[in-house]
Amino acid sequence: MRYYLYIFIFLLTSIGYAQEDLLDELEDDITVEKVKEIAVFKGVKIVNLESTKLIGKKQLDFIISHRFGTLRDGVDNFLGLDQASARIQFIYGITDWLNISTSRSGFNKTYDLALKYRLVSQEEEGNPFTIVGYNIVNVNTELDQDILPQLTFSNRLGYASQLLVSRKFNKWLSLEAAPTFLYDNTVVEDGQDNAQFALGIGGRLKLNKRFALIADYGLHLNRVSDSVFQNPLALGVEIETGGHVFQIHLSNSQAIYENGFFNQARGDFGDGDIFLGFNLSRSFNL
Amino acid sequence: MDRGWAFGKLDKENNMKVVKKTSLLLIALLLVGVINAQEKLYTKEGQLTFEASVASFEPVAATHNGATAVLDTATGKIAALALVRGFRFENALMEEHFNENYIESTSFPKASFRGNIVDFDSSFKGQKTFTVQGKLTIREKTIDIEAEASMSMEDGLVVFATTFEVKPEDFDIKIPKVVGNKIAKTITVTANFDLLKKA
Repeated sequence: MRYYLYIFIFLLTSIGYAQEDLLDELEDDITVEKVKEIAVFKGVKIVNLESTKLIGKKQLDFIISHRFGTLRDGVDNFLGLDQASARIQFIYGITDWLNISTSRSGFNKTYDLALKYRLVSQEEEGNPFTIVGYNIVNVNTELDQDILPQLTFSNRLGYASQLLVSRKFNKWLSLEAAPTFLYDNTVVEDGQDNAQFALGIGGRLKLNKRFALIADYGLHLNRVSDSVFQNPLALGVEIETGGHVFQIHLSNSQAIYENGFFNQARGDFGDGDIFLGFNLSRSFNL
Repeated sequence: MDRGWAFGKLDKENNMKVVKKTSLLLIALLLVGVINAQEKLYTKEGQLTFEASVASFEPVAATHNGATAVLDTATGKIAALALVRGFRFENALMEEHFNENYIESTSFPKASFRGNIVDFDSSFKGQKTFTVQGKLTIREKTIDIEAEASMSMEDGLVVFATTFEVKPEDFDIKIPKVVGNKIAKTITVTANFDLLKKA
């Protein structure tokens, strides 16, 4: 008989417990959706390399980037500020997964138009990667018809297509790889293929709520053997406050768009021929 | 089946008595369970909003449409639970900042409330205002809440609505000075639950 009593008491207790805490019932009820990973990157660029971040729908970002002259000349040129090359860029979020951007760079007096579109989002318990496509077409308006009488408009054009693949490993670290195809209708060096291949890699290491370390590198895969150009490398610090992202960095490239920095980075970290630079963005909600 | 399913050493007659008693007891228990279940009303699509806007700055407000809540009409006890990642902002960047830097939803994914409706009487008709008291937990910090709640009952549907105010520092949320004047010092929270028996 006492066995039943025990069972009875046990059942009573469990009922009593269930009544006491309604919250526990809700715990079982709550549906955990696959949530998209947030804040994989903060800037639309890591430094030179596009990140997998897109801006939101109906958002307009205004980005001013500078690459100063070489640091090798020291204080004579105020650490290169006297030869700054700038890029002014507007990005608009058509949807949360499709951005359009246009910019003007001082480097080769280049105008460009780009599309960036997210194909896959990293999820907290699902897709391990974010995959974004990026296509840019640029127009070099510095080429001079007086010097090159045969010049046509198409000679000024360059294209790049990238697949940006990123993963946020934890709260602090995000890494990215970017297989890249570049095509320059006009190449600077003899023997250089117009079609060029590169692999971009980069990452962001968050230090606290506002600060992060950022770095990226571009491995060019078919550069002509006696090329004067170097693979682009950049290291920097990122500061985020509200609608601003501020990046200050050192790199060996003065160009800020893909065909420029992958194919024509002239600086060399080895002998201090590097450039101080910054990217500053401001977001507007339209 | 000679010995039934009793555990003790019992003769057949006794055994049968026990089985009968136990069956009755079990039926009674099950009935109690059923009655209990019928007294509870639920929602999985509860709406929560908060409003922390300051005039002439960009609105700081968000809505959640997937909060769960339960009301025990026998006791007047009420509980609600929401994943804070479910709050939607107009501005995607603001939503990211909310989750990453303020509410820190990766470390503290849940917000919960447990409390009771004072002098609750499930026999009321139409609309009535009650006082609801309880504990609100966000970021593992708990504060006491007391607020007026409007309730209406019709055909087994209870519509519950309440509004109360909280402060960011109640939950150890630090607002940086640079945005201090763009986020209200007191935040107005509203909850709207359409509570029904579980289907």
